[in-house]
Amino acid sequence: MDVKFAIDLEHVVRIYRRDEFEVRALDDVTIQVPEGRFVAIMGPSGSGKTTMLNLIAGIDHATSGRVSVGGEEITGMKERDLAAWRARHIGLIFQFYNLIPVLTAFENVELPLLLTPLDKAERREHVETALRIVGLADRMDHYPRQLSGGQEQRVAIARALVTDPTIVVADEPTGDLDAKSAEEILNLLTDLNRQFNRTIVMVTHDPRAERFVDTVYRLDKGILVGIEDGKGGPARAESAQAQA
Amino acid sequence: MKYVALVLKNLTRSRRRTILTIFSIAVSLFIFSALVSLPAVANQVLADSASSERIVCHNKAGLAYAMPEAYKQRIAATPHVVAVTPESWFGGVYHEVSDQFPNLAVDPDTAEAMWPDWGVSKEAWKKFETLRTACLVGPGTMKRFHLHVGQQIILRGTMYPLNLTLDIVGVMRGGSAPPNFLIFRRDYLEEAAGRPGLVDVYWVRVDSSVDVPRVITALDREFANSSAETRSESETAFIGSFMDNFRTFFRLAEILGFIVVLTIGLVAANTAAMSIRERRAEIAVMRSIGFPSGTILGLLLSESLIIGLAGGIIGCGAAFIVLKIFTVGAVALGPLSDIRMPPSILAETLVVAALIGLASAWVPARAAARQNIVDALRMVA
Ligand SMILES: Nc1ncnc2c1ncn2[C@@H]1O[C@H](COP(=O)(O)OP(=O)(O)OP(=O)(O)O)[C@@H](O)[C@H]1O
Ligand SMILES: [Mg+2]
Repeated sequence: MDVKFAIDLEHVVRIYRRDEFEVRALDDVTIQVPEGRFVAIMGPSGSGKTTMLNLIAGIDHATSGRVSVGGEEITGMKERDLAAWRARHIGLIFQFYNLIPVLTAFENVELPLLLTPLDKAERREHVETALRIVGLADRMDHYPRQLSGGQEQRVAIARALVTDPTIVVADEPTGDLDAKSAEEILNLLTDLNRQFNRTIVMVTHDPRAERFVDTVYRLDKGILVGIEDGKGGPARAESAQAQA
Repeated sequence: MKYVALVLKNLTRSRRRTILTIFSIAVSLFIFSALVSLPAVANQVLADSASSERIVCHNKAGLAYAMPEAYKQRIAATPHVVAVTPESWFGGVYHEVSDQFPNLAVDPDTAEAMWPDWGVSKEAWKKFETLRTACLVGPGTMKRFHLHVGQQIILRGTMYPLNLTLDIVGVMRGGSAPPNFLIFRRDYLEEAAGRPGLVDVYWVRVDSSVDVPRVITALDREFANSSAETRSESETAFIGSFMDNFRTFFRLAEILGFIVVLTIGLVAANTAAMSIRERRAEIAVMRSIGFPSGTILGLLLSESLIIGLAGGIIGCGAAFIVLKIFTVGAVALGPLSDIRMPPSILAETLVVAALIGLASAWVPARAAARQNIVDALRMVA
């Protein structure tokens, strides 16, 4: 209990009701991820990976159980507070980048900063730093359609880290990219994790991803079926209390 | 403030759609403001031109029926009356039958006392009193037929089988003067027409507006049970009754204006719904980044508000300019030719524009701002 976890899920259940059917998208999942880890959630399609990520990111609500992120329990938060909480603590990366097409790379990255009290000059500084980290300082004024998929995803990563979030969550960030770009993105995420000690949770189908991460959480039909060391680093296997 | 750029950028998302929406709103508000202006303008003309000390006395049976000349003395003898001017409608045309404009004959001796507010110079009034063929002309008619002071013109009678040669001695420039009237001397008309001795309207000036009701009652009582009973009314009421002929038309114009606005409002709502629906995933992304629903709603409504107001400003501006041009061009409309858009209508139109903007986007924007983030994200993934 003394250890502060970046992510702490306790007996989390997420049930979707569709008409009279119930889908147990996540079934009694308990995990604890220490700060500074780069972890992957893997599993077959429909196994609940996105659901788990959304719960961690505070954009979905658990049906039962407790979700704590960065030491703060978000399970009972009201939508308004939760939005403010996300702005401060979560950096989101999506499979399809989801950049705003009418905004330049610079403006896309600046977007989350609009929610902070930073003034224009400070925002510019942060955005430039973030874009430099992802290697796109020279593409600031490009619009998404003028960028390649890999570049778009790097802009999305810059957007996710510009607010200096507690954790970065990524849903299949390489899912739409060719092998070379995917490799670049995984390297970039690894750097972020190593150099800036960012906690990163990534959903992926990509077997190559295992090489990069510390820990892999395996889901099947909503159930946590395994916790494995990734090849990226030794998993400190503490307190991974998969249900027996 | 920092959101302004975001709102403006979103408006450029589909430039053609934004421009088309702005223009359809502009066209509808152009029509709306022009139509809604009509009654307001008419009332404004009424307020401008009617004197509170003038009474109109006409035959109780209607304006088409005349009264005997002899009434003049009896009216003049009524307490509080300071001037009486008999008037006869001539209904002549200049050159062509289509060249119609109001022309009427009045007694020259009291005309100046009756209409000091018509902006006729002292010399012109003097000439009007001394020259039998003199006439005074409103600026609209002067312009329409390219007339000038000193010119001799011939009016062809339509109700009277005779033509009159008239000399223009002055222009009625006053703000309350009817801009397209022509007045000439009744004694000249009487003589040319063989002294029928009939009067269409008696204009009566009283010493103070408070006496108007008293004089009206006195006059109508004076001529009760005679062969030509009279109906007297204040000038305001008299011009107002002319306006009454237009009221149904005004009502219709107003209703039409609202229907046009409603129609475009629905079209704008459809467009807004479409454009917001296309962006549901983007909006979900912004929410997931941490933008509160209220901010999203504000951004979407601002976009729509800007579109509405832009349309309103263009539409209003166009109506304002067109009405101005129309005023200069159309002198045959009588008092209505003095059309200018009242500021209240400008304000009203802009409010309607803002409402179109807000109302058209309200439902889809609210739905988008409150949508389930996860569901909306799933639509793209
Ligand atoms: N809003 C929803 N309504 C109903 N069922 C849902 C909803 N969202 C997810 N599900 C169901 O929950 C289960 C888990 O979905 P989830 O998206 O988490 O899977 P996933 O592991 O991310 O799959 P994929 O690899 O295809 O992205 C699936 O069976 C899915 O159909
Ligand atoms: Mg998924």
